[in-house]
Amino acid sequence: MNETRANAIVTVPAVAVIDEVKDEIEDVKTFYFSFEDEAAGKAFRVRSGQFIMCTVFGAGEFAVSLPFSPEDDRPHLSVRQVGKVTCALHELGPGDKIGVRGPFGNGFPFDEIKGKNIIYVAGGIGLIPLRSSIVHVLQHRGDFGRILLLYGARSSKELMFRYMIDQWKKIEGFETYFTIDNPEPGWNDRVGFVHTLIGPAAVPVKDTVAIVCGPPVMFNAVIKELREAGLKDDAIISTLERHMKCGIGKCQHCAIGRTLVCTDGPVYTYKQIKTLGEHI
Amino acid sequence: MTMHILPKAGLCRLTDELAERYALYGPVRREVSGEVVFDLVSDPSEISLDAPIPNTPPKSVVFPQAERIMSFSFDRETKSASIERDDLSVSKALVGLRACDLNGLLCLDRFFLGQEYVDEVYLDHRKRMFIVSNTCVHPFPQCFCVCTDSGPAATEGFDLDLTDIGDDYLVLTGSPKGEELVRKLGLAEAPAAQAALRAKAVDASVCLFDDQAKDNKAWISRAVNRITTGFIPYEVWEYIGHQCFECGACSFVCPTCSCFNIEDVAAGEGRTGRMRAWDSCSFEGYSRMAGDHNPRKPVEDRRNKRFFCKLSFSQSKKYLRPGCVGCGRCVRVCPGDIGLPNVVTYIRRETIKQVPSE
Repeated sequence: MNETRANAIVTVPAVAVIDEVKDEIEDVKTFYFSFEDEAAGKAFRVRSGQFIMCTVFGAGEFAVSLPFSPEDDRPHLSVRQVGKVTCALHELGPGDKIGVRGPFGNGFPFDEIKGKNIIYVAGGIGLIPLRSSIVHVLQHRGDFGRILLLYGARSSKELMFRYMIDQWKKIEGFETYFTIDNPEPGWNDRVGFVHTLIGPAAVPVKDTVAIVCGPPVMFNAVIKELREAGLKDDAIISTLERHMKCGIGKCQHCAIGRTLVCTDGPVYTYKQIKTLGEHI
Repeated sequence: MTMHILPKAGLCRLTDELAERYALYGPVRREVSGEVVFDLVSDPSEISLDAPIPNTPPKSVVFPQAERIMSFSFDRETKSASIERDDLSVSKALVGLRACDLNGLLCLDRFFLGQEYVDEVYLDHRKRMFIVSNTCVHPFPQCFCVCTDSGPAATEGFDLDLTDIGDDYLVLTGSPKGEELVRKLGLAEAPAAQAALRAKAVDASVCLFDDQAKDNKAWISRAVNRITTGFIPYEVWEYIGHQCFECGACSFVCPTCSCFNIEDVAAGEGRTGRMRAWDSCSFEGYSRMAGDHNPRKPVEDRRNKRFFCKLSFSQSKKYLRPGCVGCGRCVRVCPGDIGLPNVVTYIRRETIKQVPSE
């Protein structure tokens, strides 16, 4: 058991304070938070790619990925309002409190991908869970080869974190490719689904891993394209989403075939995903 | 392990003694309906060791159908939040557990306590428990524990085990706690000739299992093999899926089904209670996410997951045995006739069809 698992808040949530709320794209807000109890804050150490169970008092609890880097980054959540609990979260402001359990899940491999080229492929808010890995990798820029971000959304308004990507672009060797689904006035970049960026980006294949996150339909198209480009199944990594209630491998809602996304995942290689025996 | 004699008339001494220190649970025959349930008893004499296998397993003792596990409040005016865990730990004695149900309980133990994380809510219920199992000296009509290696007698997990040998019970001790109680009650050690009667009673019971159980006996392990390797045509799951009413009854009466839902509900005085309640993988909402994406929409996708859970090797690794204990309750409650033995039969039928003819 790694250190972050041993320290996880398992059953009773720790109280956290929302320090600041930032509007991102439509229906998506970022909530910066800190723990009410300083010791809980110190013990809360994460790996990029892990998730927490977030309680909105009076509404319920939901699983949400952590977008912040394990090092030198402000703890926050970026959440789209979709269901009952996320809508209740969006009603909250600075000073309001939430409950936090976790962190849970395996997280993105960091040591294993050191020295390699990394292709991040994201669709829409699929960029949120990838952010922690992107920032972490950029914090260790020298340990990696080419770093590419292939990012698509339905419209230019739905591209997340553009102000942040502008900052990342200043880092040498960080390449970005954007696309939106349909033409728009004022949009001079590419138009089409995100898998169409794989050709134009001339993605590296040798010593390369691709980290993919987005809606299932995008995922399948991207995987097909990456494999055609020559990436092996175990060099394609994704983070999966499932309905979750406990986060600790007990409620079973997140079962995909033989694995549980909460404890075995949420990060899987495509090689593993193929053996799960269920649609993703 | 030592064997002792308890005259049947002295059973109340055992249950009274346990009732002193524990909340007492056991099989009880309901007065009006005649239904047998496994429940909390107010009077130890209510416990009936002759009663048929209860309609419900003792699962709800360690994993209640619905319970509040904690409550919280948040006052937006003062910004003060409080979270309080509910105390769920009560010392319980379970008397008259059938071997299948004890094995089911051990499956739950291994699943809730033995994996990566310990389920603290389950642990609260499970710790400080005294277990008295009861050998099935004859099987009940739906039973097939002989096929799943979980009966008719218990082999582990009990503090005391009782076997009916006529006028007396043979009492087998299984733990220091059990030894202590036997000493306290001053039960005489069984002479060798009598102690040997337990094994005899078990053998006699095995011979009484009906044809259905014998028929499926070899095939449960074959089904485990087939389900694990994914070597079952999708049409078989479709066939089973078409018979499923999605009522969830099989999950609710299963001694090893342990899926649960969590819901936060108003608890009065501005507080919110976190409720944990049984769930079933046969329900369509089980895997549906916010935004309506549902990876397991067709009923057969959901249905085969239950049998995967009961019979696949990967799940067996969590239980350290197959997830089915052969109690046969799913057979009794399923309105679509897809209790586990029938599923095994369908898998068997399909497999035989696949054998190429010469």
